[in-house]
Amino acid sequence: MSAPYFVEVLARNGEVKQRQRLDTLPIRIGRGYDNDFILDDRHTSAHDAVIALGADGALEVRDVESRNGIIHKGGRQTQMTLDGNTIFRLGHTNIRVRSADFAVSDAIADTTFHGWEGWPPALTGFVLVVLVTLASVWMTDTEKSEPVHYLTVLAAMLSVMVFWCGGWSLANRLFEGQTRFGRHLFIAACGLIASEAASFLISFTAYAFSLEALTRYDNHVLVAIVAGMVYFHLVTINPGHTRRFALAAILASLLGSGVLLMVSYQTSGRFSSELYMSELLFPSVRLTSDKPVTEFFANAEKLKAKVDAERSKKISNGVEEDNQD
Amino acid sequence: MRIILLLTAWLVCVATVTAAEDQVKLPTPSSSAQRLYSLAKGDLLQLRVLLKNGRTQSSVGSGFLIGTGNLVVTNYHVMSQIALEPETYVGEYVDTHGKRGPVELLAVDVLHDLAVVRIDIKGSGFFNVPEQLPALTQGQYLYSLGNPLDLGFAISEGAYNGIVSRSFYDQLMFTGPINAGMSGGPSVTVDGRVAGVNVSKRLDGELVSFLVPVRYVRDLLKRVAEQDHPPKDFKLAVGKQLLEHQAAMMKRLENTPLTFKELGPYRVPVWESDQLRCWGWSNSKQDKPYTAEQVSCAMESAIFVSGQMQTGRVSIRHKILRATELGTLQFSTLASNQFKNQSVGGHKDLRFTPPQCTEQFVSNGKLPMRAVICVSAYRKFPELYDFTLLSASTDESRMSLQSRVDISGVSYENGLRIARIFLEGISRGSQP
Repeated sequence: MSAPYFVEVLARNGEVKQRQRLDTLPIRIGRGYDNDFILDDRHTSAHDAVIALGADGALEVRDVESRNGIIHKGGRQTQMTLDGNTIFRLGHTNIRVRSADFAVSDAIADTTFHGWEGWPPALTGFVLVVLVTLASVWMTDTEKSEPVHYLTVLAAMLSVMVFWCGGWSLANRLFEGQTRFGRHLFIAACGLIASEAASFLISFTAYAFSLEALTRYDNHVLVAIVAGMVYFHLVTINPGHTRRFALAAILASLLGSGVLLMVSYQTSGRFSSELYMSELLFPSVRLTSDKPVTEFFANAEKLKAKVDAERSKKISNGVEEDNQD
Repeated sequence: MRIILLLTAWLVCVATVTAAEDQVKLPTPSSSAQRLYSLAKGDLLQLRVLLKNGRTQSSVGSGFLIGTGNLVVTNYHVMSQIALEPETYVGEYVDTHGKRGPVELLAVDVLHDLAVVRIDIKGSGFFNVPEQLPALTQGQYLYSLGNPLDLGFAISEGAYNGIVSRSFYDQLMFTGPINAGMSGGPSVTVDGRVAGVNVSKRLDGELVSFLVPVRYVRDLLKRVAEQDHPPKDFKLAVGKQLLEHQAAMMKRLENTPLTFKELGPYRVPVWESDQLRCWGWSNSKQDKPYTAEQVSCAMESAIFVSGQMQTGRVSIRHKILRATELGTLQFSTLASNQFKNQSVGGHKDLRFTPPQCTEQFVSNGKLPMRAVICVSAYRKFPELYDFTLLSASTDESRMSLQSRVDISGVSYENGLRIARIFLEGISRGSQP
């Protein structure tokens, strides 16, 4: 062990809140002003603990005359050896002690695109949102709408984006000290494009290959895309926890899909979002061959067993249509 | 539905009264009407359906005692709640003197909308249904009796105007005022012979009312005479009659040749007859970037089973959408939206099971299409189903022919047979 020594107060998530250099041992710790390291914690005593070299030459912490003691891994200790990674608690304060010869880990690779901050991603995101929104309004405009209709939808979409990205920027500012609005807007715009592209892809695939079931569950893909967006927003705020955030996003996506399934079952009695595929695209999209009418009616024949089985089931909360004749 | 059955549902009663007073001026009864009423009033009854719990009335209609016995003829739709839900509803009669008593349902004829009940008083012999029925001539006076809108017994005068061919089963057209609550009451000739039983009227016309011909009353009374005891479960009897109806309907449809209508380049099959009437519709004059034209054919009558269920009916709709200014992708959105969310029944319906569907890209050899067929079973009536066939042409990028055929209250076999006739009948003509 070589001087100097550093006493660090850690936050619960492991971040260093306060660090003090001390050149000699022993280091007296407590609330009193005659200590080497003063704790501003009402749950610690005037003289709480002392750091000194043990018999084996390693650093150790000893209880002096504390009320609440030294807590390590949930148990109270009167004396314990410290290896530079040991975190112990005095009152409500988490403490780590390292000496000057503590070997720190290697630097992690910098994967952040520092040039992609501020205006460039903000402007790109804005342009993408405008283009995708206008394209999707145009596609669904079957009644020859006035231009103001396009502007209204665009304004609404941009407002939603500003609120969404504003929220993430605020969180970014709170936790990391910078807003990074441009980055968040770009992520949201990519999410929007991904969701439009996914619903297109699903429709075209279902129509081309007669895979009708795909369209019945397309909203789950959208849930997954939103979860993906949330993951990228979180990683933008704190790139240090990618695995934790990925897990959270996967869980959120599963939870979202579960809720969708339950809502669908409650309102329509089935898990799929629609009873049959309604997409009608154009002939050149079709890649598989049409079936003969005989096969279609053979399948219809098979429905009889299903409805007959339903007939015998009791229903709860049934509704009879109300009409007066 | 433009036809209203003459059953007074209590809640709508007041509104109907005002409407009726505004629209229809009752003609002054003639001396024959006064004479007929005084002779008939002893045999005229009001029939009420009451909730067992609390004995509050749920609906009211009329009825009349036959001969000197204790049998009363009325409409099935007056008694339908007692037939289908005897555990909840019970019947009661009230005569012109205000005497009340219980009602026992003996037989129903759902198809012609008739019922026979037994009560604890006997008739005077004024109303008779002989083997030889009176021949009616168009324009002849008829007198309709009953208790309109639960206001009191009344007689109204009108004219017989022939047999209506629009309904599936024969009905007589009576040009005279009959109102809700007179359902099940008799309509008699000037000499007191029963011509028919009041059943319904058109809401979109003036004084256009309908009677069930007395020959069906005669047939039902014969059936009552032959049966040892009334059916224990009227639902079974109703279900059996509905099955008979769908078989008759199928037979009649098969004897009606399909007519083909031109919709753009497509030829679409419809059945057009007195019972199945077709109407056309087009949006071509509207300011839209596409045109839509439609042919829809539907049976004008359906079988009344309960206030919530009318069945035994076929309706057909073909619609062509053509883009005039829309691009291919925009037109796809339009066609998909029109094909989407077509109601085929809910999942918490007490009458039907949730719909089960199958869908496929099919070709009938003449046209490639997307086809969807959905089926629901009737919960109360075995062997009866509702079918919905949806189809959309897939041969053009800026034109879509979409069809919908609804077949209600049929056997599984007949439902599929009708659906198949339509799916196979749609084609594209040689002219583009």
